[in-house]
Amino acid sequence: MDYRTVLTTCAYCGCGCSLYLEVLDGRVIHTFPCKTGPVNEGKLCVKGWNIHEFIHSPKRLTRPLLRQNGTLVEVSWDEALDFTARRLREIKEAHGSDSLAFLSSAKITNEENYLIQKFARAAVGTNNVDHCARL
Amino acid sequence: MTNSIAELEDADCIFVIGSNTTSSHPLVATRIFRAKEKGARLVVADPRQIQLALKADLYVRQNLGTDVALLNGIMNVILTRNWHAQSFIDERTEGFDEFRKVIAGYPPERVAELTGVAASDIIQIAEWYAKAKAASIVYCMGITQHTTGVDNVKSLANLAMLTGQIGRESTGVNPLRGQNNVQGACDMGGLPNVYPAYQAVTIPDIQKKFQNAWAATTLSDKVGLTIPGMLSGLAQGSVRALYVVGENPMVSDPDVSHVKKALQKAELLVVQDIFLTPTAELAHVVLPGTSFAEKDGTFSNTERRVQRVRKAIEPLGNARPDWEIIMEVSTRFGYPMHYGSPAEIMEEIARVTPSYGGITFDRLDGPGLCWPCPDKEHPGTKFLHKGRFSRGKGLFHAIDYKPPAEIVDAEYPFWLTTGRVHVHYHTGTMTRNSPSLHAEMPEGHLEIHPEDAHRLTVRQGDRVRVISRRGEITAKVSLTTRVDRGVVFMPFHFVECCANILTNPAHDPIAKIPEYKVCAVQIEKAA
Amino acid sequence: MSEKVRAKVKDLLDSGRIKGFLGLRQADGHLGPHLFTDGRELDALAVGDLKRPGDTRYPLNKQLLTLMRCDPDDSFGVLVRGCDERGLKTLITWNQVDPAKVVAVGIACPPELAAACECLKPYPDEFVDGGKVEGSTFASVATVDALDLHSRLTHWLHEFSKCVKCYGCRDICPMCFCKECSLEQEDLIHTGDLPPENPIFHLTRAVHMAGRCIDCGLCNEACPADIPLRTLYKKVAEIIAQEFDYRPGYVEPGEKPPLNILGEAPEH
Repeated sequence: MDYRTVLTTCAYCGCGCSLYLEVLDGRVIHTFPCKTGPVNEGKLCVKGWNIHEFIHSPKRLTRPLLRQNGTLVEVSWDEALDFTARRLREIKEAHGSDSLAFLSSAKITNEENYLIQKFARAAVGTNNVDHCARL
Repeated sequence: MTNSIAELEDADCIFVIGSNTTSSHPLVATRIFRAKEKGARLVVADPRQIQLALKADLYVRQNLGTDVALLNGIMNVILTRNWHAQSFIDERTEGFDEFRKVIAGYPPERVAELTGVAASDIIQIAEWYAKAKAASIVYCMGITQHTTGVDNVKSLANLAMLTGQIGRESTGVNPLRGQNNVQGACDMGGLPNVYPAYQAVTIPDIQKKFQNAWAATTLSDKVGLTIPGMLSGLAQGSVRALYVVGENPMVSDPDVSHVKKALQKAELLVVQDIFLTPTAELAHVVLPGTSFAEKDGTFSNTERRVQRVRKAIEPLGNARPDWEIIMEVSTRFGYPMHYGSPAEIMEEIARVTPSYGGITFDRLDGPGLCWPCPDKEHPGTKFLHKGRFSRGKGLFHAIDYKPPAEIVDAEYPFWLTTGRVHVHYHTGTMTRNSPSLHAEMPEGHLEIHPEDAHRLTVRQGDRVRVISRRGEITAKVSLTTRVDRGVVFMPFHFVECCANILTNPAHDPIAKIPEYKVCAVQIEKAA
Repeated sequence: MSEKVRAKVKDLLDSGRIKGFLGLRQADGHLGPHLFTDGRELDALAVGDLKRPGDTRYPLNKQLLTLMRCDPDDSFGVLVRGCDERGLKTLITWNQVDPAKVVAVGIACPPELAAACECLKPYPDEFVDGGKVEGSTFASVATVDALDLHSRLTHWLHEFSKCVKCYGCRDICPMCFCKECSLEQEDLIHTGDLPPENPIFHLTRAVHMAGRCIDCGLCNEACPADIPLRTLYKKVAEIIAQEFDYRPGYVEPGEKPPLNILGEAPEH
C-alpha cells in the first residue's frame, strides 16, 4: 500500500486555494483543504472538495489520436508528434509564419504557457498567441 | 487584483459589481462576509439578485450593459457634493478636467432613467464608497464581458482614483480572475501583443532581448491575432493551422456555429487536452496532456500569487505532461528544447520576466510569492500602486455611456445574460466529469421571472425554445425572481444546452472580449 | 511537544506494532497530514498549532478510516487530541474501527486551544505530552441561548443564508462515514443554484449529528462562510446530554447513542 498526501494548488477558479490530494496506490481518492493555505485557510468550495473526481474519469484521453480516413484513431506518440511537427512546418513553409496560430491556456502551468508562446514566437515566428482570458 | 484577497476583510466598504462571488469565487466571498461581520458596508450592483445581494447593505439592479452610466452617476454625486480626494487627484493623477466635464452630464436623475437604479441609491453608494476609510471594488466578468468592457474597467479605475481608494491596504480595484491560471497565462505572454511580463512585441529593444535569450533567428514585430481574429482568419483562409492547448472554443466562444465552421476549415487543427472536448473532436491530431495532479509547475492566482503545483500521481495511461509534449513538438519542428524539469523552465522565465525575476521553485514553499518579485531577496508585493502608479500618474478617462451592441426589440424581446453556477466551471470539461458536481446540477437551464413565465404559459421545469439572431436552443426553465422581468439568465457550462449558440460575438474594440453578458432573444414554449 | 511523540512513534514503528502512523509533517512550507511508515522520517513530525488555535488540525481519523478499509489486516497509529480520542471511541461504537488495529498516541491541548474550542475535556485519557487543562463550558451556546426566540431565529437564518453549499462541514467531518448521505436526497434537499434552501440543509445535518458529533470543530474551521456550526452542534449535543444523559465520545466504546436504539414499531 502506497498512501500519500500531496500538497498542491486547486485547478478551478482564480482563488488559488491550497489543498492536499490524498493518494492511495496511484489514485487520487480525496481532497482536503490546507489549513495554512494563504488564500483559503483550511476551507474549500464544492468544486475544490471534489477536484479529485475528474482526474481518473474514464473519459480521460490516455493515447494520442490521429485522424485517418475521417476518424480519430489511436497512434503512437512518435507518429502523433512527427505528424504535428511536420504539418506545422509544411504550413509555415507554404503560407508563412502568420498562417499558424496558437491557443495557450489558463488551465495549464506557467511553465507550459511560457513554452507554448516561446515555441510560437521563436520557432514558428508568429505572435498569433492568445488564450481565453476574455471568455 | 491591485490588492490581496485577505486584505478585503479589513475594508470598511466593499463595492461588488458584476461578480457572483459566492458562486464563482467562494473563497473571496469568505473575506467579504468577514468584512461585513466586522462592520463593513457591502454594496452589490448586479442585474441578477445573487446570493451576495441578499447580504448587502444596499443592492441595486442596474439594467444590462449600463455600468458606465451607473458609475458616472456615482462619480457625479461625489463631485457635486465634494466627496472626492482632491489632494490625491492633484498629486497622483492627470486628465481630471476632461473627465470632470463628461461626468457633469450624468446627474443621478438622468442615470436613474438609464440604469433603472433609484437616484437615492446612487447617492447612497457614492457616499458610502467615497467616505469610507478603505473602500475596495470587486468585479468580474459582469464588468468585462461587454462591448464596453474596457470602458467599464476604466470607469472603476476612475472611481477609485477620484476618491483615493487605491494604493493602500484594503482598497483598490480588484478583478477576480475566472480561471486558475489566467493570470499566469497572461504573465507568461500568452497574448498576441506581449512577451512575458507584458513586454511589447513591437518595441525593438525588447524584441532584441528575447531574440538573444531564445537564440531565435528572427522574431515578428507584428502584433498577432486574438481568438476572434484567429477564427475569422481560419474562415477566410489567412490562418491555416491552429494549435489549441487546454481550451475549448467550441463551448466557450460566442456564436458557436460560426466557431465550428471556422475550425472545420483549418488545414491542421492540433488539440492538446485531457478530455476529448467538442473542439478535440474536430482535430486532425489529439495529444493527451495531463491534469494538474500529474505534473509539477506553478499557477498564478488572481492576486498575482505564484504557487506550486505538485505531482501527486503518474500520468494516466500514455498521457504526458504538457510541457514535455511542447518540448517534443518544438524539437521535432527544428527548434530544440531540452528542459529537465519545470523548475528549470522557471529559471529561464525568471531571467526574461522582470516581475518573476526573484522566483524559483525553492522559494515557493509555504505561501508562495506575489509578483512583482524582481530579485532573489525581494519578498513579493502584497498590493500595487503604493505611492505611484505603474505608468507614473494615474490617468482619468473621460468616458460616455454607450448602449450594448444588441438591444431588445419586438422580435427579440428578452434580454439574455450568461454566467456560472457554483458547481460548474467554464465549459464543464472537468466539473461535468465529476460525479458529485454533476449530481448537483446535471443539466443547463434558463432562469426566468415568474411573471414572464406565466405570460408564456410555462411552468417550472417546462422546456422552451430560446432563439437569438445567431441560433436557437431548447432549455428547461427555472422560475425565479433572481432575474428581473424581461431578463433571462443561462449558465454557459452545458454543451447540449449551449448558451453560446445564442450569444453575440460583438466585442470590445480594444480588449476583443465578446459581449456574453447582453444579447436579445425570443422565447417560446417548446412543443 | 513533538519530542516525546516522536520517541513514542519511533518505538511503535521500529517494533513493528504499527505499519504506519498518521500524524502531521512539516513539508513544503506547511504542516500537513502524513502517513509515517519509517522511523527515519520522523524528524519532520510535528504536532501542530502554528499561529492560531486549531490552525493545523486535520481529520486524521477520517484518513485512518480510509487506511483501515484498504488494509484491514494491519495496525496503524494515529495522533489524537481529546476530541480525536472521542472520535475514535465513537467510531468503534459505530463499528467503523477495529480497536485492536489502532494505537492512539495522545497529546493534551494547550490552554489557548482548549479555551478556543470550549472543550469539555481537552485531553485524551492517556497522553504522552502536554499538560492537563480543565475543560470549559459552552459559552458560545449560552450567548445564543440568551437571545429571545425571534432574535435566535434571525441569527441562525442569517448565518445559514451565507452557506455556499460546499459540503465541507460533511466532507471534513471524521464522524461522517455514511455511504448514502441525507444531504444528497433530492426529495429532502433540493439541488440547484445558490443559496441553498434554508434552513433545511443545516438543520438536517444538525439532527443527523445528534448523538454522533464529538465536538472537534473541524466543520466550523472548514466553513467558507464562517457559519458557527460548532455552536449549533454543541447546542444539539447539550439537548442530547440533558434528555438522555449521553455524550458521544465521553462514554465507553460500545454504548449506543440513544437515537439509534430502535424500539418496537409504534402501533397505529
